Amino acid sequence: MQSFFSNKRLIILLVCIIILVALIGYSMSERRSLSWPEQFITDSVGWVQSGFSRPAHFVAGFFENLDEIKNLYEENRILKSHLDEYAALQVEVNELRRHNEELMASLDVRESLNQYNVRTALVIHRSPDRWNEFIGINKGEQHGIEVNMAVMTSKGLVGKISQTSQFTSTVQLLSDHDRTNRISAFADGEQSIYGFIEGIDDATGTLKFTRLDIDAEIEEGMLVWTSGLGGIFPSELLIGEIVTYETDEFGLSQTAYVQPTADFQQLDYVLVIERSTSSLYPGIDPDIEFEEEEEQEEEEDDETEDEGDES
Amino acid sequence: MIRYLLFLVLFVFFIFEGTVFQIFASDMFGTPYIFVPRWVFAIIIFAGIYRGRATGTMYAVILGVIYDVIFMSILGVYAFGMGLITYLLSISIPFFQRNIPIIVITCMIAIATLDYYIYGMMLLLGLTSIIHEEFLYTRFIPSILINFAFVCIAAYPLKKMFQYIKRKKEEAETV
Repeated sequence: MQSFFSNKRLIILLVCIIILVALIGYSMSERRSLSWPEQFITDSVGWVQSGFSRPAHFVAGFFENLDEIKNLYEENRILKSHLDEYAALQVEVNELRRHNEELMASLDVRESLNQYNVRTALVIHRSPDRWNEFIGINKGEQHGIEVNMAVMTSKGLVGKISQTSQFTSTVQLLSDHDRTNRISAFADGEQSIYGFIEGIDDATGTLKFTRLDIDAEIEEGMLVWTSGLGGIFPSELLIGEIVTYETDEFGLSQTAYVQPTADFQQLDYVLVIERSTSSLYPGIDPDIEFEEEEEQEEEEDDETEDEGDES
Repeated sequence: MIRYLLFLVLFVFFIFEGTVFQIFASDMFGTPYIFVPRWVFAIIIFAGIYRGRATGTMYAVILGVIYDVIFMSILGVYAFGMGLITYLLSISIPFFQRNIPIIVITCMIAIATLDYYIYGMMLLLGLTSIIHEEFLYTRFIPSILINFAFVCIAAYPLKKMFQYIKRKKEEAETV
């Protein structure tokens, strides 16, 4: 057997390690958009992946349907009982909507935070090693997708766009561990309680809803929605339901645990949400205030926390 | 045509890992275990043993780069790890080539090393905070089992495939 590491090979190995470190540094730099070779690879592979995904989703959907057929009778009975209430609610909603429109017209309000456009996309891949919670979808810049748009299923919010290529893009799910993966949300009660959804609790699979006011009266079963205050997401997209809550480790705020309404494992089609309301005056950078706040916090916590990507 | 057969096989398995396998993945049915398929990597180790160190390392780096670009937010991690491990474990001597159990063991060593290398990198880069026991029980052991099953089933067909490629290449050279 020839010797493993002659001098030449050792040098090649060292050069490779240097390249590795350089590449890691390059890819960890903040707010990097994909370079064209990466876009080329993702798009061409993505094209093949959609060819594989479509039939697989179809087969998986077929088995799911078989499962559902079993519960059909029961569900149908419950739905019928709800149907009567629905008619009454519909009248009320129409009435309120008309009322709301009139009032908004009289106040000359043209925009509100919950207006958005929707694009549907097919999930084409998911990283097999599961160290990150990223999924790929088959819509990209050419279809008008931009970084940081909200992504949801019909049941609720699942994540946001983290990288875009020409014909595909990558979605970072809410369950991802990245520290900058953070969205502004509120819990719906008599008073709205505002906070941030930050990462997932591994043991229970619930999302952490942090930085809630210490005096806020949290109840189990409260629904959590996006607030639209981060400037990128529209408001009132459903995230989940509070299951437990506790005071955080420093006793300064509360943390609630939110059971997401969307199923992060079983994703086939997703909706990409584009907020139609403009975020702020173009001259004002929405991040400036946050960065200052964060820096102060960092000094206090003595922690090297990445600058927040509030959305 | 025969030159691209191996790459085609690797690419199809690569696509399969990311799409079909994920759609029918285990956690859909509620188990807490995470099964990470490393089938492409197993085939690359086979390629390293049957087709030589240079070929194996080349495929490892190419597939590693594709893996990095498509699935990882960090570039270079897989390309380097897969390349290095394949380089070290591509022992293409006839004793290995004849002995399927030895190849299976080599594959499992390679996959185990890669899994631990990736876990180490993720900890180092601060992308995960999973403690070692949890990694061992929910990810490492289930993944090793599923990969072991795959390698055992695929070893014989793969051996046949590499022998076929070798035969075709020799024929092409003599003609």
